[in-house]
Amino acid sequence: MKAKALLLALTLSFIASLQAADVIVLNSTPKGNKIRMEGTSTLHDWQVGGSLIGGTAEVGPDFPLKPGAAVKPGPVQAKVNVFIPVQQLKSVEKDGTPYKASMDQRMYEEMKEPANKRITYTLTSLTLKEEPKAADQPYTFESVGELCVAGVTNKITMPVSVTVLEENKVKFAGSTTVKMTDFKMTPPALTVLGLGIKTGDDVKLFFEWVAVKRSAPAAK
Amino acid sequence: MNKDASFSGELNRRDFLRGGSVATMMALMGGVELLAPAASRAEGIGVGNKVKVGIIGLGNQGREIVKSLGANEKAEVVAICDTYAASVRKVSKDAPGAKTYEKYQDLLADKSIQGVFIATPTHQHLQVTLDALQAGKHVYCEAPLAHTMEDARAIAKAANALPKQIFQAGLQHRSDPQRNWLLPFIRSGSLGQFAAARAQWHKKQSWRSASPNPDREKEINWRLSRATSLGLAGEIGIHALDQACWFMNRKPSAVTGFSATMLWNDGRDVPDTVHTVTEFTGGVQQIYEATLANSFDADYEMLYGTFASVLMREVLGQGKAWMFKEVDSPLFGWEVYAKKEQFQGETGIALIAGASKQESFTAKPDAITLLRSSPLYNSLGNFLENVSEQDTAMNSFIELYGADDQQALLDYLKTETAPRRKPAASALDGFQATVLAIKASEATFNKQRIELEEEWFAL
Repeated sequence: MKAKALLLALTLSFIASLQAADVIVLNSTPKGNKIRMEGTSTLHDWQVGGSLIGGTAEVGPDFPLKPGAAVKPGPVQAKVNVFIPVQQLKSVEKDGTPYKASMDQRMYEEMKEPANKRITYTLTSLTLKEEPKAADQPYTFESVGELCVAGVTNKITMPVSVTVLEENKVKFAGSTTVKMTDFKMTPPALTVLGLGIKTGDDVKLFFEWVAVKRSAPAAK
Repeated sequence: MNKDASFSGELNRRDFLRGGSVATMMALMGGVELLAPAASRAEGIGVGNKVKVGIIGLGNQGREIVKSLGANEKAEVVAICDTYAASVRKVSKDAPGAKTYEKYQDLLADKSIQGVFIATPTHQHLQVTLDALQAGKHVYCEAPLAHTMEDARAIAKAANALPKQIFQAGLQHRSDPQRNWLLPFIRSGSLGQFAAARAQWHKKQSWRSASPNPDREKEINWRLSRATSLGLAGEIGIHALDQACWFMNRKPSAVTGFSATMLWNDGRDVPDTVHTVTEFTGGVQQIYEATLANSFDADYEMLYGTFASVLMREVLGQGKAWMFKEVDSPLFGWEVYAKKEQFQGETGIALIAGASKQESFTAKPDAITLLRSSPLYNSLGNFLENVSEQDTAMNSFIELYGADDQQALLDYLKTETAPRRKPAASALDGFQATVLAIKASEATFNKQRIELEEEWFAL
């Protein structure tokens, strides 16, 4: 009995080690990331931008990591956890130049920072919809995940494109529209020069995230 | 001075007018009052991450800094330092809970301190500033940066070599919301061609502090000796001299000085009354006068153009400005509706000895509003905001990507943080203003004209 249990344990650990060996971990890089949020108000549209995205993607052997890699449409093994530091999101003009620090502070308050210092996203499933028509074209996936803003989590479904920039270096890109009220945020209403200004509930999110397999440390 | 050192890019009058709100236009005004809108003034008062700071040097300016920081929600004064124990005790009342030091090296050893304000006598700035930068602190160094060009250059170079640390020269006008709001108005050609500039600083005071013993007497009255002080033209005049360069975006080409001791014949070798004439590229000249022998009309700055003049001065602690138009100047439109004031030269109002002409038209603000309106408060506030942003950005970056890729971190700070910085005098601004102040001081002491060589202003 004891021997059987030992054999089972060894077998399970062998299978686990095989699976672990097949999983490749991609890490955030400091360059090439973009976040943009766009909203409306009765006065003018507003934009928020940022370029810090942290986190990891653990992908299986069926995930495209080489230019031109063949991937069959259908579910793909991928576990992604990413986050954005709220204080590194800044209000910008349409052309990307800085807007106002007071707008930033208002945004942080709405996002309940510092209680919630990060916006987080956890991918729960990734399904390839379309293979690229050329090696430098992106793979088109349908993603399902959980987005947490201001401490409130919502399920998000959105198309995500994956471009293989070079072997083991990929760029995830996507966009979706969310509602502030879904995250229990009240669209801010302000009074400027005696005029009531109300922001719209819908916010368009855009992101580009570059992740790379970290090279093994050199032998000592 | 160096165009790159201040605001780049010229603006035209149409751009400036388009940028203003209706309320702004209504608030503008012959003496047309030129007052920054409340929103732009409030920008200086931030919330968010507090910054732990220490103050080194607790003389008059150090005490003002501590008081001003006490009114700023962003500041957490955790340490104060002065070699003179009595000064530390006196100031500690305004900095409750702050640790006290007599050696600045001990203050710098406190790793929790993010930024330091250096308000020691000018000739002692160099070593304290270099040590503070070496200790990884963000540094606000009072202006002038130093009393020699070599020291000033060493400070500015050291600051520029450490781009992860904020360095701000204490040229308060460069952070003043009112002046920053005026800058595009003036640069956009609203005054026509610059014709001349003038500034004054009048106070009746000895500049001498009482002291319990001869050693302390010499130490505390460092401003009265040429060996340690740049005198009125350098220690005080630096702000007005720099402002003329900044507003007109011109390099100074020569400075001539005159000086005399008219009242305080007490053994000092620093004159109590000075005049300077600074020549700028294009032929414009600024006349600056400062005296400790008379207080009439206090301090103000003027810029004269072929269309209009602008007067800038503090009234009840708040920076204000007025425009005086020439009869043949073009009509902007908005000035028709703006608030107008009467001044003695323009309206023939009788002079009343000892009373400021402006005191009658504004209600007295409360003490905290007064403090928060001052250029010093805004200058310190901008330093705190910039330090907070810098440290938050660095911490976020390192948390995400580690600290191995220093170049990527510097790139991030350059592209994402630097463009958002609150207006503040850089190391180069401080260095160039200090060079001009040193030469203006030399010109007044020696009553001579000094041609300013371009390489003196290069780092």
